[in-house]
Amino acid sequence: MTKILPKLINTFAVLALLLCLLLVKNTQAMSIPETKLQQTLAEHRGQVVYLDFWASWCGPCRKSFPWMNDMQQKYRDQGFVIISVNLDADKTLATEFLLGNPANFLVIYDPEGDIAQQFNIQGMPSSLLIDKQGNVQQAHTGFFTHKVKLYETQLMALLAVK
Amino acid sequence: MQLNHKKTPINIKAALTIATSALLGTLPVIANAADDTTTPAKAQQESSWDFESAFLYYSESDRVSAAEAVISAQKTFENEAVLNLKLTIDSLTGASATGAAAQPNVQTFTRPSGKGSYQTQAGKTPLDDTFKDTRVQLNAQWTQPLAENYTGSAGVHISKEYDYLSLGVNGNLAYDFNNKNSTFSVGLSYFQDTFTPEGGIPVAFASMPSAYDNDDEYGIDEESEDETVNSAGKTAFNATRRTDSDDKTTADIMFGFTQVINRRMITQFNYSYSKVDGYLSDPFKMLSLVNSEGIAQDYLYENRPDSRVKQSVFAQTKYHFEQNVIDISYRYMWDDWAIDSHTIDSRLRIPLSRNSYIEPHFRFYQQSAADFYQPFLAQSNAIPAFASADYRIGEMSAYTLGVKYGMKLSDGNDLSFRLEYYRQEPKSSGHQAPGALAEVDLYESVDAIIAQVSYSF
Amino acid sequence: MKIFQVKKNYFNADLPLQIIKYSLLSAAIFLASGCSSLGVQPWERDLLAKEEMALTSSAIDSALDDHIYFSKEASSGGKGFGGGGCGCN
Repeated sequence: MTKILPKLINTFAVLALLLCLLLVKNTQAMSIPETKLQQTLAEHRGQVVYLDFWASWCGPCRKSFPWMNDMQQKYRDQGFVIISVNLDADKTLATEFLLGNPANFLVIYDPEGDIAQQFNIQGMPSSLLIDKQGNVQQAHTGFFTHKVKLYETQLMALLAVK
Repeated sequence: MQLNHKKTPINIKAALTIATSALLGTLPVIANAADDTTTPAKAQQESSWDFESAFLYYSESDRVSAAEAVISAQKTFENEAVLNLKLTIDSLTGASATGAAAQPNVQTFTRPSGKGSYQTQAGKTPLDDTFKDTRVQLNAQWTQPLAENYTGSAGVHISKEYDYLSLGVNGNLAYDFNNKNSTFSVGLSYFQDTFTPEGGIPVAFASMPSAYDNDDEYGIDEESEDETVNSAGKTAFNATRRTDSDDKTTADIMFGFTQVINRRMITQFNYSYSKVDGYLSDPFKMLSLVNSEGIAQDYLYENRPDSRVKQSVFAQTKYHFEQNVIDISYRYMWDDWAIDSHTIDSRLRIPLSRNSYIEPHFRFYQQSAADFYQPFLAQSNAIPAFASADYRIGEMSAYTLGVKYGMKLSDGNDLSFRLEYYRQEPKSSGHQAPGALAEVDLYESVDAIIAQVSYSF
Repeated sequence: MKIFQVKKNYFNADLPLQIIKYSLLSAAIFLASGCSSLGVQPWERDLLAKEEMALTSSAIDSALDDHIYFSKEASSGGKGFGGGGCGCN
């Protein structure tokens, strides 16, 4: 019995410490990327926002960039803006990707995945359509070239709402 | 996927793309790019074919050599479907062990066709160098997402050489779950093979007949009406033959489970079951029938059961360190011929620079003998129902030691070189060697070099 | 079928191989039961997306080797299909 007691105390101490860490993590203030995104969204309230999550290692992301550039150009004047969140753990890979696939829209860097966690992203790439009031109306996981017509119809519908 | 920066407008890739498209009856999209109002770069990404080619040379010291060339083309379509086409051509030359045992004297054997014979020196393992064959193989595999988290794949295989035809189909279904961290898959395959060996299929345990056309040693003059053809000899030869051709079918099922452990590690576990039915003997292999002194009195064609059930379990892990990636796998196979085997395979990929890597490779293999394996037949014993002296179903260990060097060229294409050393060490599974057989090597080791060049574009 | 019977006539390397076999089996059972807690978030697949982390990193090499070993040994196949990678789409 006396042999087990110190071990039990040790185990409880470790568990208690872990519990504290968990609580601390959950009640932490928003990270820098999350703050940056909130500010940007606030600035664009009244516009339709396409929030895209991408990374350099994601093949379909490569396909989505030319389309996103097209959409940005086509609907900019109607109050449409694309905000992208890059999830590369290594920013240099993202920079390299952008050299070969230029982005005519804002990129917010989220290497720790804080924003992705906040929005509960289910797959890569992911996109959310946010209406003029700031509410998420559509969420898409994956980018499919045979679905681009659908994506465009959805954003046009949100632009049409006053 | 890499972006290719081609320097010359006309290149192999474009030519092959046009050729492949023509073969499939589709026009290459590149030709229609002018009509496309969306960005040409986008059209090219969706319609480009990726090619991989390789040339392999396999050479055993004193025995078989093989040269193999492969080219594969892969394309991803708009609905995320992938088509993979592969063409393989290989050519085999050299001598293979027949299963007959070495003797303290010169031995003469009849070629499988019956036309001509060859001799083996004293103390040497009998090798038949009749094997010269070229094989062509075509594979096509179609993979596509069926529904959210479900991926299906189906494929066909056709392979033809002078005396062998193999036709096969396969199908596979994979289900991803836990945010694609886990994948469960089931695969089925079915093959139908037909063997039409030169000289026909021998009767089990028939005595090797004498050659009936010794003047025509290489079988060049098949339609000859030369009176030196020994028609009695030919009749005797044909008496040892059962039929011209025979076949076998192979049905496989495999269950697989893949799990991402963490950001750096992935594992896979598979179980497979395979049933082969039909003609499973090797028509070119025989056993020496020896007396109590170990001296061969006759040579009898081998006989294997007409069915085989194999099962295996396989586990693999890949782990990404800071720079290097290690790949380790283990397979355990067991069957109803009493063969079981262990295979450990490991590779360590070490990046040397941004564009090159080196990958050492070590593989260890060990198998136990089939219950009907025996290195020779003793006259004093009754002929068993099944027997084979083919070392490839005897007890054996083998190891492979190799290294691969790969690099990315300035135009974005990949080039790699692989050099391996493969050594097979057959072992005794407990058969006593009487008399003269104790003086010879019944379990000769085989050394081989494997060299390969690969180019992706 | 004899599922995990080991023949007695192995040479000395038998024991380590048995240990490997049984630990892999235990790992498999352990993993199967604890699956839902293992894995990564969709955006943490950067390393897994690399070509060198694919379960079959070279299909051509694998096919060529399988052909050699199928011709020279009594065992074949057993290796598998899908999973892993970037998990995109």
